[in-house]
Amino acid sequence: MSDNYDVIVIGAGHNGLVCANILAKKNRKVLICEARENCGGLVEESITNFVPQIPLSVSSSLGGLPVKYRAKSTIALSESGQHIRLVGNQHIDHKVISGFSSKDADRYVEFHDKMSSFSKALGSFMMASPPRIMNNTFSDYFKLFKLGMNVRMLGKKKFNEFARMIGLNIADELEDNFENTLLQGLIAHDAVLGSNLGPRSPGSLINLLYRMATHDNSIFGGIYEIDGGSKAFVDTLLDISNKNKVEIKTSSSVKRCITENDKAIGVELHSGEKIFAKKIISNADPRSTYFCLLGTENLDTDVKRRIKHHRSKGKVAKLSLSLNKKPEFINCDKNDLESRMVIAPSIDYIEEAFNPSKFDKLSMEPILEMKLKNSDQSNPVLDIQVQYASYGAQEGWDKIKDNYVDAVIKLIGKYAPDIQSCIETKTIVTPDDIEKNFYVSGGHWHHGEIQIDQLFMLRPIPGASQYRTHLDGLYMCGAGTHPGGGLTGIPGKNAAQAILEDA
Amino acid sequence: MNRDLRFTALKKTPFHSRTSLASRTNKYYNWNGFTVPTEYSTTELEYTAARNGTSVMDLTPMCKYMINGSDANKFVDYLVTRDLSQMEDNTVAYIIWCNEDGKVMDDGTIFKFSNTKFMLCCAVKIYNWLHDSAEGFDVSFEDATDTTAALAIQGPTSCSTLKNYGADDLELLKPFGMKQYNINGYDVLISRTGFTGDLGYELWTDPANAENMWDSIMEAGKELKIRPFGMHALEMTRIEAGFIQTNTDFMAAEDSLRPVRMRSPYEIGMGWLVHLNKESYFVGKRALKKEKETGNSERCLVGLDIDGDKPAVGSVIYNEKKEDIGIVTAAMWSPTMKRNVALASLKRPYGIKIKENIFAEIYHPEELEYKKIWAKCKVVKRQFFSPERRNKVPADLYE
Repeated sequence: MSDNYDVIVIGAGHNGLVCANILAKKNRKVLICEARENCGGLVEESITNFVPQIPLSVSSSLGGLPVKYRAKSTIALSESGQHIRLVGNQHIDHKVISGFSSKDADRYVEFHDKMSSFSKALGSFMMASPPRIMNNTFSDYFKLFKLGMNVRMLGKKKFNEFARMIGLNIADELEDNFENTLLQGLIAHDAVLGSNLGPRSPGSLINLLYRMATHDNSIFGGIYEIDGGSKAFVDTLLDISNKNKVEIKTSSSVKRCITENDKAIGVELHSGEKIFAKKIISNADPRSTYFCLLGTENLDTDVKRRIKHHRSKGKVAKLSLSLNKKPEFINCDKNDLESRMVIAPSIDYIEEAFNPSKFDKLSMEPILEMKLKNSDQSNPVLDIQVQYASYGAQEGWDKIKDNYVDAVIKLIGKYAPDIQSCIETKTIVTPDDIEKNFYVSGGHWHHGEIQIDQLFMLRPIPGASQYRTHLDGLYMCGAGTHPGGGLTGIPGKNAAQAILEDA
Repeated sequence: MNRDLRFTALKKTPFHSRTSLASRTNKYYNWNGFTVPTEYSTTELEYTAARNGTSVMDLTPMCKYMINGSDANKFVDYLVTRDLSQMEDNTVAYIIWCNEDGKVMDDGTIFKFSNTKFMLCCAVKIYNWLHDSAEGFDVSFEDATDTTAALAIQGPTSCSTLKNYGADDLELLKPFGMKQYNINGYDVLISRTGFTGDLGYELWTDPANAENMWDSIMEAGKELKIRPFGMHALEMTRIEAGFIQTNTDFMAAEDSLRPVRMRSPYEIGMGWLVHLNKESYFVGKRALKKEKETGNSERCLVGLDIDGDKPAVGSVIYNEKKEDIGIVTAAMWSPTMKRNVALASLKRPYGIKIKENIFAEIYHPEELEYKKIWAKCKVVKRQFFSPERRNKVPADLYE
């Protein structure tokens, strides 16, 4: 039996593609097995509205990634029409906010500077493979030391502030700083986006820091739309793959990892086909990787426990409304409709929306992030990210889907009274649909919550960090690994490095 | 009564009406939530019965779990370090199991009825561990601790006693074999197992049969020097047999607060139970394989033959430079062998490569004063006492 390939990557999500290409550029013979018919995974627009920019470190290791981004501004909608419009430029934002409260405007700049310096201190740590104390190696200690130094170098006052804030909930911090509830709601929205937390849940602040670290260290900057949409992005990656001679097999779902002497040596597809390689990399989520690829019979009990307790219940649904004309949003001009539109009027509103989700139930007044596509054409599409649409909702998604969609439309109707008459078709993708159609257990954007016990060296689970699994020769490169989801490609790049180090 | 002073009383075993009648000293202790005698009359007398006649011990508090399901065989093999894939029906095996770091959690015995039915007997509660381990296996568990009454019948005349009780052809039962009987209208499972290192059996039955079984066995052994014995006497016999006890000779991995106190099988003399060439994976295999390959086991558990006649209970062990190299975990003066024996956990290479010039510092209490003894030790096999009759088939019979 000979190794046909050097590396098999399971899953052609963007991290899988990034990882495969970096390895192919280092003259590895790479095959990607993708279960779906097309590549890209969750990059699809049917999942998320906006993306951060791919970091330079990732694009340069691919030899350049010719993708154009368009920066987006944000508008927090208010029922009264008193919207707040922010662009991520502190100078302009200060002016906008001072129209509501001059105190808030000053505080905003201070708050932004503080958060920004924290996110920069975390920055390099976020981008690199996390250290692992168990390894007991100099480079791992050095990484940890560097993080400590970065934070300490902020100065004593800021260091203390960092220590105070790291486990804090975002609501307390916002209420301490701002008086405008709409501004509070907007920042809180971004802090809880994609997570299983409410604004008053401990740890929601680190979620915002995490987001900032991948969004240009800015609260409202770093929000982009890809020119040509996600398709253009995936096509670019596929072009590069072509050039690097990465083979891609679509509609080939992997059943399990083939092992020999407790080492991964290949994969078996559901079709029965067996393919062998020196290294296997899983772009699948941790639960699928461990329970399906590795197999429960090859795991220690402690590892099973950790995977079972790994929190990965998705909370975001995506509703797409195709419209026959542009809806009239109260007090919004053309520019506003081009922006990221957020409906999260206050912290209390978000917390109320969050409350039922604790019990896997749905709030009929959820928080929304919207994008109007093709706004100048005759067939615009309103893409809506609905937060706290619980995975495995108790009410049963099959039964409640239509009511839920109606409730969301009714909610939008408060801000755009004519929305109902514009709608042609409605499509919703729930976390359950994501699980089923994209093979992501729990349907979570990040393949697992971004919380302090599932971050850094603890991501996805203790003992499996640094992109290696408990099985020799099997690696992970998906959003479930450090630093997490989002269209960054960092997990893919770091995983490729880990493999090159081991070779 | 003031509510705050109320406690939930310890449970009584199904034999309690009989054990409490037999107890002269009223000395009880808490074993796994049950109240059971530490000794009935005098420990020495009970020990002597165990070595010369028949001793009876209430084993009910032992944790007992039934493992059922189509994957039961596979699951048990996955749970423990020993290769059980070739285990025959109606036999019993001594086993240990480890956590992911290859540290021992507990030891116990596994009873195989068929490929789909097993019973696990152990000291530490592991219901939760079983459930979490079972992910991916078609098995179900039942905690049978409260629903199974168990008696240990041990000693040279134990076979004859049980034959009188109604266990026909019991002498033909091989060590670690088991056989289902129906005696006095009740099902009784008899296994040739025990914790005394001598000929002996363990009986498993319905709690409703407990009192009848106790009475009948006492009657059956009347002429065969039968006597109930308690925990203290058992402790003596098990040290002589060289059997280890969880949380006495080593800390159970789940119970140790300090990770450095956890022990791998190789560090407690249980390496022979680790079958790394077992085809399927078992919990802790990766870690144990690594430990075996790198040879980085830090401790060992050995038997010591100590000069003099003063038991080295809790003694620190030294080398000739008076450096601390370990500790005695269990010690006694063995009346049967007339030897001063101990089990000790030593830092390697002591006990493995260096077996000479090892000393125990014994503090022997003598009427409110300690006599300090510096005693020379010899590293010996842990199994101090192992008479031929223990494994003889057919077993010795007496009238």
